[in-house]
Amino acid sequence: MKNKTAIVFLSFIVAVGFVCLPMSQASAKDAITMGFSISLTGMYAAQAAGQMDAYQLWEETVNNRGGIHVKKYGKKLPVKLVYYDDKSQAETAVRVYEKLITEDKVDVVLSPATTGIHFAVAPMAEKYKVPIVGSTAASVKLRDIKTEYFWFITACVPDRQMEALVDLLKHLKIKNIAIIYAQELFPRENLQFLDPYVKEAGFNVLLRKDYPMGAKDLTTLLSEVKAKNPEAVIALCYVPGSFTMTTQAQEVGLNPKLFFQLIGPAAVPFGPKFGPAAEGLTTMGHWSPKGKWPGARDFHDSYVAKFNKKPDYLNSTLAYASCQIVEQTIEKVGSLDWKKMRDYIAAHEFQTINGPMKFSGTENTRTPSMILQWQKGELEIIWPESTATAKPLYPKPAWP
Amino acid sequence: MGKERRLIGAIGLILLFLCLLPLMASDYHVSVFLDLMMWIALTESWIILSGYTGYISLGHSAFFGLGAYLMAITWTHIPYGLGVILAGLLSTAFAFAIGFPFLRVRGPYFVILTLGLTEFTKFLFINLEIKLGGTVGRILMMTPGLHTLYYSILVVTAIATITAYFVKNSRFGTGLFSIKEDEDAANAMGINTSLYKWLAFGISASFPGMVGAILALRRSYIDPYTVFSPIVSFQVIVMAFVGGLEDVEGAVVGAVILTLISEALWARYPYTYMIILGIVMIFIVKFMPLGLVFPIKRRILMRRKGKDR
Amino acid sequence: MDLTRVLQIIFTGLIIGGIYALIAVGLNLIYGTMRLLNIAHGELIMVGAYVTYWLYMLYGVSPLLSMVLVVGLSAIIGLLVCFFIFLPIIRSSKSITVLESNSLLVFFGLSFIFTNVASLLWTADIRGYSYMTRVIHIAGVPLMYNRLLALGVALFVCLACYFLLQKTMLGKAIRALIQDREASQLVGINANFIYLISFCAAFGMAGLAGCLLSMFYEITPFMGLPYTIIAFIVIVLGGLGNILGSLLGGFLLGLLETIGVSVTSPGLRPILSYSVFILIILIRPKGIFGRGVY
Repeated sequence: MKNKTAIVFLSFIVAVGFVCLPMSQASAKDAITMGFSISLTGMYAAQAAGQMDAYQLWEETVNNRGGIHVKKYGKKLPVKLVYYDDKSQAETAVRVYEKLITEDKVDVVLSPATTGIHFAVAPMAEKYKVPIVGSTAASVKLRDIKTEYFWFITACVPDRQMEALVDLLKHLKIKNIAIIYAQELFPRENLQFLDPYVKEAGFNVLLRKDYPMGAKDLTTLLSEVKAKNPEAVIALCYVPGSFTMTTQAQEVGLNPKLFFQLIGPAAVPFGPKFGPAAEGLTTMGHWSPKGKWPGARDFHDSYVAKFNKKPDYLNSTLAYASCQIVEQTIEKVGSLDWKKMRDYIAAHEFQTINGPMKFSGTENTRTPSMILQWQKGELEIIWPESTATAKPLYPKPAWP
Repeated sequence: MGKERRLIGAIGLILLFLCLLPLMASDYHVSVFLDLMMWIALTESWIILSGYTGYISLGHSAFFGLGAYLMAITWTHIPYGLGVILAGLLSTAFAFAIGFPFLRVRGPYFVILTLGLTEFTKFLFINLEIKLGGTVGRILMMTPGLHTLYYSILVVTAIATITAYFVKNSRFGTGLFSIKEDEDAANAMGINTSLYKWLAFGISASFPGMVGAILALRRSYIDPYTVFSPIVSFQVIVMAFVGGLEDVEGAVVGAVILTLISEALWARYPYTYMIILGIVMIFIVKFMPLGLVFPIKRRILMRRKGKDR
Repeated sequence: MDLTRVLQIIFTGLIIGGIYALIAVGLNLIYGTMRLLNIAHGELIMVGAYVTYWLYMLYGVSPLLSMVLVVGLSAIIGLLVCFFIFLPIIRSSKSITVLESNSLLVFFGLSFIFTNVASLLWTADIRGYSYMTRVIHIAGVPLMYNRLLALGVALFVCLACYFLLQKTMLGKAIRALIQDREASQLVGINANFIYLISFCAAFGMAGLAGCLLSMFYEITPFMGLPYTIIAFIVIVLGGLGNILGSLLGGFLLGLLETIGVSVTSPGLRPILSYSVFILIILIRPKGIFGRGVY
């Protein structure tokens, strides 16, 4: 009896001791520590990889310049990333940020990966009054977050994105469309906004069907779409769905004049996998290395040089841009004071590899939602015309 | 008699420590213990059915998610405490509703059936959410602070552990163990095995429901894919096994050990942590097939028997 | 609904079903002979997919050749895992329930190890490649060569498995062991040898399934779990230990999936599948085809 309780008691003591072990102390100011959690394992790991790489590229780029100049210390300080795996679990991420802020006492906080985890972490910003510039989060609900210490930069917010898509369809004088969508958060949210725009534009919706996540066989669905012969096929999908769909559309011979896939064609493995078959496919986005913004091409090239693969045109660029915002803020504010940083971020415009960014509330309203298209082995921006790098390739060429 | 007092004393000390922790330690430490207690609560409740009767259930995740969703739906409409209690009640009601047919299935079939249940519930919620809200996933704003959640989990965990203990040492518990030993024989002897299993199932389901509700507030954002993930069930099973399936203290030990290894490693070596965990699990089975606690207890019993002579 | 549509549904159902059957038969072999639930089965599929991918991307090795290599490699892994881990456990387990629960733990451990070693070595990025993508028309139904290949290979291997079990001495020994472990040992069947064979065959088939899948679906270190779940459902439906049952069950599930997707709203497919599954288990707890061994 006694030994049994001793075991339990002992375990607790050990647990306490372990946890209360002194962590690495913050040393004298010789670096700016940037803390964040990232999904290195678990179901978001694939998505988060591009973000992690971008953070590391940014760290390297900044340190090659000697670091960020902080007036308060009168010199350039190198940047040091401090990160932990959140295992794609929201509560782990929350704990990580608590640790980073209260234990490790990092100077600056960067954002985690994926929308869901952003939501979990946003309350941290308010609680600890630490500015967090979000990156890879896209949802209209982000505007509802009630804190002055959190922002998100993506332009691919469903309502604006769908508006851009419908504008493109109108521009191309398309009348008949088919809509297929995955039963998942982001596709559904986009559909919610696509419907009213479609109605307003008066398109003829020949087919509107959903498919379950992880569906391995879409051939029957795609054949059905083909039978209706729409001019444009709008597929609201994630990367796996886009892979399956692109392969099987070739199989059944579905070749609409415009083929839009929400997420997928801009993912890193898409180009290498499909090669010439990708020609003409369109997708959502807000960046291309051909974009006329300072540093866009350099970012692309240094990323390829360092990682031997292309950056993710969504996740990697957002992550990098968020770091740029933080960097410029520190330089202009001259210190690492959170309140001052927060005030600066809320009021100013920033120049990033994705063009100018400025916040209205929590949202970056400067960057328009765009449509990208594969043309000759590169993703061009075809819409809106203000940021376009190429004219739309319409109609889509036949499958090779 | 002295042993009982020592046991109660030790437990009292632990409880006192846990109650005072938020006042002494940083938020990070509090959250580590919150996490730890969540796993203890889940594991203790799991062994009430699966440990004692041998019906290995992968359905704990289903009740967890159910509780989380109840909280997400009722949040800001009803008081927090009520939401947690309702989550527990709902889970128990659900378990009772499906209990009789489900528990007629035995052995590995039951394991896979409960896995199917979790998956079914996940997709059910995905479809329901789409019908109701148009999107999948819910946000919870203005959630209670860390300390409130911590104390809530503390209460739930304490109740779970006490329940597991009392069940084990009751006639009800003996009945459950007899089911594990030989269900048909137990039936023949007049034990109403169906009723016993059903009760155990229902009781055990209430805790993941309550834990799920509290965790939903911690995360501020839930969607069916994360709250109904079978990974929750898997981890609970590992902890239960490490601690020895039938042991109330063992469940605590299992949770603590796994959390310790977790803490020590995941921060620095995210992939290696899982690899080491996997290796540890294999080693435990090879060298301590009865869990960690049981052999130690057995040795103690042997020694005491020797002393009595 | 015209004939072409019906044929398309059948063909695609069989293609997917073939993969399911491959995976399920292997899983059932291990369960039938050793009463072990291999939770890590999906991870072998993942390994097979990655090996095929890397051989193709780095050395230009055709997946047709990789198939053989992958089967061999997976079989060797199976051999090692069985010999060093499971044979000792079977020896030392006091009862069936202890064995079953211990093995669950070990398989979880293996699953963690496989997925995380893969993440460590190959990063979590999604990968994919294209192979044999020309389309052929059979009876008016368009099919990609690689999917036809998958169907062909799966069918061939499943049938080979079936004939092996029915017509050879080894097959008879396996079936005897599944039916009654003690009795078969009494008549001189070397249980350990059968266990090794079962592991090699099961892992080999899983690896092969991964190789086939890699040709048209995406590859990530975490791709295995959904397939493991499907395999479990198939073997439970077909009857644990009933090899032919899981073979047929795999194809059946594939067909049901594609029919369900085309007839009803595709979104309801998972709910329907799982409700059907739950209902069947509740009504016929021993599976559609029962415990009988064929």
